[in-house]
Amino acid sequence: MNKQALSPLWTHLTSEGNRTGTWRAALPRYQDQPSPCLGACPVSGRIATWIGHVEDGDLRAAWEVLSDNNPFPAIAGRICHHPCETACNRAQLDETVSICALERHVGDAALAAGWGFAAGPERGVSVAVIGGGPAGLSAAYQLRRAGIAVTLYEAREALGGLMRYGIPSYRLAREVLEGEIARITAMGIDLRLGAGVEDAAALEALAEAHDAVFLATGASLPKRLPGLDYEAGFVVDSAAFLAAPESEQKAMTGAHVLVIGGGSAAMDVARTARRLGRRVTVMTLEPEGRLPAQQVELEEAAEEGVAFITGAMLKAAEGGETVTIAAVRVTFKPGETRGQFSVNEITDSAFTLACDTIIPAIGQDADLARWGTVLGTDGPVVGRRAGRIRAGGDVASMERFVTHAIGMGKEAAREIIAELAPDAPLSAPLPGPLVEYARINTAYHPGHPRARQPSAPLPKRLESFAEVQQPLPAEAARREAERCFSCGTCIHCDNCYLYCPDMAITRLFPGYEVKTDYCKGCGLCVAECPTGAIHMREDTP
Amino acid sequence: MDISRYEDHGQFCSGHAACGGCVEALTMRVILNEIGPDAVGVVAPSCTAVILGGYPTSSARIPFIHGLIETAAAMGTGVKRGLAAQGKGDTTVVCFAGDGGTYDIGIQALSSAAERNEDILYVCFDNEGYMNTGGQKSSSTPHGAATGSTPLGKATVKKNLIEIMAAHRIPYIATASPSHLADLAAKVRKARAIRGMKVLIVVIPCLPGWGVADDSAVRVARLAVESGVFPLLEVEDGVTWRIASDKTRPIDAYLAGQKRYRHLSDGEREALQAEVDAGFARLKALEAINPG
Repeated sequence: MNKQALSPLWTHLTSEGNRTGTWRAALPRYQDQPSPCLGACPVSGRIATWIGHVEDGDLRAAWEVLSDNNPFPAIAGRICHHPCETACNRAQLDETVSICALERHVGDAALAAGWGFAAGPERGVSVAVIGGGPAGLSAAYQLRRAGIAVTLYEAREALGGLMRYGIPSYRLAREVLEGEIARITAMGIDLRLGAGVEDAAALEALAEAHDAVFLATGASLPKRLPGLDYEAGFVVDSAAFLAAPESEQKAMTGAHVLVIGGGSAAMDVARTARRLGRRVTVMTLEPEGRLPAQQVELEEAAEEGVAFITGAMLKAAEGGETVTIAAVRVTFKPGETRGQFSVNEITDSAFTLACDTIIPAIGQDADLARWGTVLGTDGPVVGRRAGRIRAGGDVASMERFVTHAIGMGKEAAREIIAELAPDAPLSAPLPGPLVEYARINTAYHPGHPRARQPSAPLPKRLESFAEVQQPLPAEAARREAERCFSCGTCIHCDNCYLYCPDMAITRLFPGYEVKTDYCKGCGLCVAECPTGAIHMREDTP
Repeated sequence: MDISRYEDHGQFCSGHAACGGCVEALTMRVILNEIGPDAVGVVAPSCTAVILGGYPTSSARIPFIHGLIETAAAMGTGVKRGLAAQGKGDTTVVCFAGDGGTYDIGIQALSSAAERNEDILYVCFDNEGYMNTGGQKSSSTPHGAATGSTPLGKATVKKNLIEIMAAHRIPYIATASPSHLADLAAKVRKARAIRGMKVLIVVIPCLPGWGVADDSAVRVARLAVESGVFPLLEVEDGVTWRIASDKTRPIDAYLAGQKRYRHLSDGEREALQAEVDAGFARLKALEAINPG
């Protein structure tokens, strides 16, 4: 057949010669932004990113992202006060994502698989870390990753600090604690156990011997209740009680234990005493609903038979056959900063109560006097720094949360690394404001109730110190990860590519690129992005 | 997460003349890629023709004949019969037209082709008015919507093209939405495999015509589906109705996103809600007559 000449009536060009990009006033830009959970996280964890890996079933990748900021995911996944969940955007759709349970899921998988940390190439500089609790261990971990030698001084015979001596095993199983600590010490740390640093002179000597010092000795001085004779036989220090082995705890307590305080430590004391077979009453200044302990702790304590007297203040206690306390009802007003408050006694509301043992658990203060003028004694200051000495954790903050201490340890270590080993790689923080709920296209996030961790059954709970909170089953964890909006994090879902009417998005596997020749700047890709990871910017030449 | 996927084989080209953010171009992208290269198109004057054309260029990789507005179904008939006579009966013939060229001016040709059960796929891009001539009302414009020629809102209801076509007992009728792209692709795929007359009606929120923000046409189309204003459905042989989308929200958010409805009083909005409810109930009743 002869080739026929193309009729001039036929089109013979595609529209691709038309550069419709010239119509544009704004251009989409791919830029991951911090999620609200990251903003609330005490260790600034890349939560949306690691939950994405959980959703994909890649727990190893999830653990690597998680442990960039926190070497204790199995611990934090059990005891963190999870402000991330309070900040979660998903709460505005149905319920907040079970971030803490997912963290435990990843942390437990890492322990079960025996994944370990690698130390960085040695840099020839050394840091003394004083205190082997969450802040000190977190700093030691970050420093070793950067190849900085660490000598760790711990006054007690074992590492862990408050995580070992303050948190009962029914909240944090000891094999989990040992496993996550062993993973850090395996990075090569010069451990000095039973070697407390006693005073300012010893501290200054360490500062001379090392290139930097991180001081994280915690808060070891119990706050004192006025009206209570701490020398009386029926008064037991809460920290000593929690640190003691079970046999000694039994000897310390009578049949009816009165715990003073409404925080986590008070709940730990109360629930431990219940497991010893004691009758337990908790008395708090705060009214019901305002107790500082986590909600789940309060619920579980009540389930376990702990009685509560809220909005009441101890005035005096008198020993005898049994102990009689005099108390009064109060109204409670929280102060400007955490830990501050004022109370007013309600007239004619005095009452008495009989018990056998009183355990005040109203908090601890840092022993700042010990460091003399090296740090100053005008109260704890976050990130306190004097020459080569930095302080972190409870000694430098009033927050009193394990994960907050872990975060302070990390931050101090990052500062030290930037100073002593500027070549060591440090992950950069995400720029930009936190992603707002309005930026999430909820059409892609169908409603689904939050996964709840199962609890050990009640009558059995009080028979041992076995863990109460049980892990999420693997499939429930994956489904829960699917609930995450991945706020501000590109999940490579292709929606921007699929919804572009102008074929102006190129897939790069992974990632995307905008074809500026054709993009008309309509913003459909931004509107249909399920996670808020694309932004329109004014397009200036 | 439920991402609505389809395959792009490059059958629709960048550089076309659609307004930025126009989802008519988006649905053309899905349809042309699903139809593939073994196809010939005909197009009636419409936004679609503008997006396809601009002589001597074309945004489609398959050939298109641009004809008169009343002739889409008639052109399709002729092209299909011509191809069949040449032994190319497997080549898909697709007709593109707007709602003006379908509900109004082209309905005679469409009805005739349907009655003869011509083997063509007829796609109506339904933006509920004559939008590329400045936004006049068509018989597809819904009750209450303001257009250039119904500035106080249209007094009569939208013509029910689905039931008109169903009355022709053609093999396949479907509705689709740019908010549900995988569903759209699946319906095109299904239609291609059916011999005889297929009609696909796609809802196209028109940015200037409906008064919708440049980035919001998909969102408005999704609201149209979810509020039951534009349900996703299929009708086989005119008698087997399948309503795939649920009515999960009131029409308020759908109306609020469009300037063409902003003059409505509360009472008028309630009346529209009642119409939508009745229309959806009627569809469910049709579905129940002959469960497929």
